[in-house]
Amino acid sequence: MKLGVLILGVSAFGQVRFEDIVAGPGKNWLTYHGDLGATRYSPLKQITRANAGHLVAKWTYHVDNALKLEATPIVVDGVMYITNSNEVVALDARTGRRVWRYLDAHSQIRRVNRGVAVLGDRVFFVTGDAHLVALHRVTGALLWSKQYADPTKGYFATMAPLAVKDRVIVGVGGGDSGIRGFVSALLVSTGEELWKFHTVPQPGEFGFDSWGKLNKEWGGAATWMHGTYDPELNLIYWPTGNPWPDLAKEERNGDNLFSCSVLAIDLATGKRRWHFQFTPGDTRDWDAQSIPVLINGEWQGKPRKLLLHPNRNGFFYVLDRVTGEFLSGTPFVDRLNWATGIAKNGRPLEIPNLQPTANGIKNCPSLRGASNWMSPSFHPKTQWLYVPTLEQCDIYSASSLPAAKLVGSMGGGADQIPSEPGQFFLRAIDYKTGKKMWEYPMPGSAKMWGGTVSTAGDVLFAADDDGNLLALDVFTGKHLWHYATGQNLTASPMTFEAGGKQYVTILAGTEVYTFGLFEAVASRP
Amino acid sequence: MRRIPGILFAGVLFAQQEPSAKQLLDPSWINEGRRQYRLACGGCHGINGEGGRGPNLADGAMVRRAKNDRLFYSVRNGVAGTDMPGFPWEGEKVWQMVAFVRSLSAPAQFATLPGNAEAGAALFHGKGGCTGCHMIRGAGGFTGPDLTDAGATRTAKQLRESITNPNDRIAEGFESVSVIQADGSPLRGVAKNKNNYSIQLLEDRGKLHLLERASLKSVRFETTSAMPKPDLTAKEIEDIVAYLAKQSVRVEAKR
Repeated sequence: MKLGVLILGVSAFGQVRFEDIVAGPGKNWLTYHGDLGATRYSPLKQITRANAGHLVAKWTYHVDNALKLEATPIVVDGVMYITNSNEVVALDARTGRRVWRYLDAHSQIRRVNRGVAVLGDRVFFVTGDAHLVALHRVTGALLWSKQYADPTKGYFATMAPLAVKDRVIVGVGGGDSGIRGFVSALLVSTGEELWKFHTVPQPGEFGFDSWGKLNKEWGGAATWMHGTYDPELNLIYWPTGNPWPDLAKEERNGDNLFSCSVLAIDLATGKRRWHFQFTPGDTRDWDAQSIPVLINGEWQGKPRKLLLHPNRNGFFYVLDRVTGEFLSGTPFVDRLNWATGIAKNGRPLEIPNLQPTANGIKNCPSLRGASNWMSPSFHPKTQWLYVPTLEQCDIYSASSLPAAKLVGSMGGGADQIPSEPGQFFLRAIDYKTGKKMWEYPMPGSAKMWGGTVSTAGDVLFAADDDGNLLALDVFTGKHLWHYATGQNLTASPMTFEAGGKQYVTILAGTEVYTFGLFEAVASRP
Repeated sequence: MRRIPGILFAGVLFAQQEPSAKQLLDPSWINEGRRQYRLACGGCHGINGEGGRGPNLADGAMVRRAKNDRLFYSVRNGVAGTDMPGFPWEGEKVWQMVAFVRSLSAPAQFATLPGNAEAGAALFHGKGGCTGCHMIRGAGGFTGPDLTDAGATRTAKQLRESITNPNDRIAEGFESVSVIQADGSPLRGVAKNKNNYSIQLLEDRGKLHLLERASLKSVRFETTSAMPKPDLTAKEIEDIVAYLAKQSVRVEAKR
């Protein structure tokens, strides 16, 4: 009790209230996507289409021993929080100077990390070995560390946690080696587990019979990416990964629920409200980890609560997020050969005899998918979703070994086709029609994992496939500005305001780059 | 003649095979490693292993995270892309070096210590006055280093010396500073960071100020640690060290 009083007593400064997070980004950027619905739209407008050409680098922070930085920074009152593997750094957001650093002394697994969550006086992040760690936001002091998955069973963690009300929502990686996925809610104050939802059902539960004879402890359906949240419905929308073994289906005949799905889970109880499966019985590693973007929009002339989702399988989906009803599914890539479309019930119309074989077979999109975890953004003025899109096919091969012999592997693989190199395009998609409104081609090696942010200055910031941070016109896709970071980009940009000025930040490989508008400074001789 | 290849083969095997954990804690091995270290490694990493031209090996940031075979490989072959050369010694000598380098940052939680941890807890939270500045699991002050994981991140020697000789080394980010702002108002606290252009100042009540040097009327850094030299007996200090050695976030510490 004394401990609780002390924590309350000292936390009078710089509280992040949950209603601040619900309000969405402004000067601050308080959650992974800026807003809980993942529109990644910022109302800041100092940087505009007219002046974006005047952006210059303001500072760079180098992360020692960086393992391919993938985080989206969080900014609270001029302090920026970024992560590396098993590491959190707080920076002065105007200067890039380090305020504190937490290096986890315990984690046995080194994995990439996608960032922190903040709430109250706390910062939360996950270690590679699936501990949720709570730190004091001002000093980096360690408050608690809670194991929520067992790394000896193949689990690991990479995601930015999602802090909602009094709980932190976390998921797990490991779906490519045979784990049983789950989503957990842990208490902000102590890390105590409030509920756990397994993405592979137990006997007697809905969906158990969709797995054939596979041992359900291995079903995969990992939960490695950050979900979204609707405060009015009190539902979280969590994307799930592939069924396991990824490419070998012999022992798991059926739809393999709830793999390759989005789950609507009641925040209070951890119970499933509805689910929608994009790729039933997947054999191409097509995780549904693309972001479930929540918008209140118009659908066939009526206002509706929608969920937009560009899936790895090449189709762009619109769902009713209250009920999970399928509204539309349209292709958003040209290289798509596995299905002719999506039926009215939401199931893909698959072309037979295209399943991965021992000798390999050409399927499109590629294993990495038509889009992946790179963040799209939705602009309220254009009503378009901006989606990093990969046009690529692969040769998919599957093993015929029994699942028991495949634990620790994907059960097959996919090869790029040298004569048909992949290419990224940034596409503006009109959700009402599924039509492409413009596209920005990105020449490069088709190796990037970068996302987007859009602003009230009508600027779309995006990573490209050649290591550049771009500024584009949201209406036309016209190039306004770029900066060569010299690194392969594996993170999404964000924007914030500090000291009255708007900045744009992206993590690039081993560095944190922050940009702002050029200002002439009188030199002081 | 036919036996020689067999012996050579055994030698190669020994070089690559990791000794037991017990062997790597053997004092004679650690001493032998220390002797060799002073001759070959101290020039760059410092005689105490605290770094110089080469990285700090005693703070645990690098060494604790590396597996034994990785340390072996780094000593034997050097580290590509850095100034660290390889030392192509025979296997046992390299393993002794690994044993010594590990000992530099051996966490206090695994050390055998003379103090009484329960008495140390009473002192830490009571007459020692430590919680005015230090936190353990969220309870305590802001301006001293957090000690929640002290037993897992510091050696017993580091814990002891930071109590007995607080001015010998002031931890990065904990230098005391006083400034006068443009409007004449003063601020006091620790500098979480500083350079010629900015100071990140944390007040003792936990408020962070991100200051531009150009906007300040004056800045004064203290040369002594904010940590007072404690009025404690040698036994009391050992008790506190024993208590701090038990602090590890992944093991529920006794209170």
